[in-house]
Amino acid sequence: MKNFWYLFAAYSTIWTALGVYMLRLSQKNKELQAELRALQVQIEKALTR
Amino acid sequence: MRTLSMLLISMISFPLVFIRNNSIYQAIVMYVVMLFATLLVFIYAPNEQMQGIVQKIFYFHVSSSVTAFSAFFLVFVASIMYLWKNAEWWDAVALSAAEIGVVFCTLVLITGPIWARPIWGTWWSWDPTLTLTLVLWLIYVAYLMLRLDAHDPKRSRFAAVLGIVGYVDIPLILWSVEKWRTLHPKPVLIQEGGTTGLPFTMLFTFAVCLVAFMLLFFYLLRERISIIQSQHTIEVLRHQVDNLPTG
Repeated sequence: MKNFWYLFAAYSTIWTALGVYMLRLSQKNKELQAELRALQVQIEKALTR
Repeated sequence: MRTLSMLLISMISFPLVFIRNNSIYQAIVMYVVMLFATLLVFIYAPNEQMQGIVQKIFYFHVSSSVTAFSAFFLVFVASIMYLWKNAEWWDAVALSAAEIGVVFCTLVLITGPIWARPIWGTWWSWDPTLTLTLVLWLIYVAYLMLRLDAHDPKRSRFAAVLGIVGYVDIPLILWSVEKWRTLHPKPVLIQEGGTTGLPFTMLFTFAVCLVAFMLLFFYLLRERISIIQSQHTIEVLRHQVDNLPTG
């Protein structure tokens, strides 16, 4: 098991970086979808007024 | 040689099958394949005799580099299409692929030195392959910095030119690995004469890792393009809201 920590460091970095990036994309997507829905509601309300 | 090249191309293009509208289905498949790849790396693949356990970094390191190179190839193609057709969609593809390419290239530049420390005795060497990879990373970071102001079409066109010119660095990297006398290991996957330097267990593990990374790449690409498209739709809707009759 010599050099195990190097292997651990490499794979931890990969998983953490990819996890953070995927989370960031997913959160951004959710925020934008919410904003889109809010704007659509605003337009529909104004048009039906 | 031809069989191995065909195998490599199939492994890279296979995940294209998973580009569908259902992102949950795609995410589940990607997760299962990634989990399987990790299990293969840690349980199935044998330890290399000379390097020991640290050689297992190879599977994700090389898969990351193939993914980064594929992403930058997509930037190259999408940038040409954007300059030719002047279509926003190609610009969105280029920007998304560039960002994902930078993420994977960063992983290559981090995992490489982690492998090099116990094997070479140093974290970094200014050898041609490593230096050219760093230059590649800097080119596409510059591309992303240019794109910080998304509203300027002039910047988009200039970035597209950078995306095309920057791609020239990749053949240089591949050439340096094969032909230049560098510290970086010579190709083991496909060697001169068309043979592979890997035993079946390692080759199979690598193939699964590559498929997993390609699935991840297409999943991230879809998510990133969807963000750009949503931002564009929001801008259009905001404009509509601003022009709504008041009272």
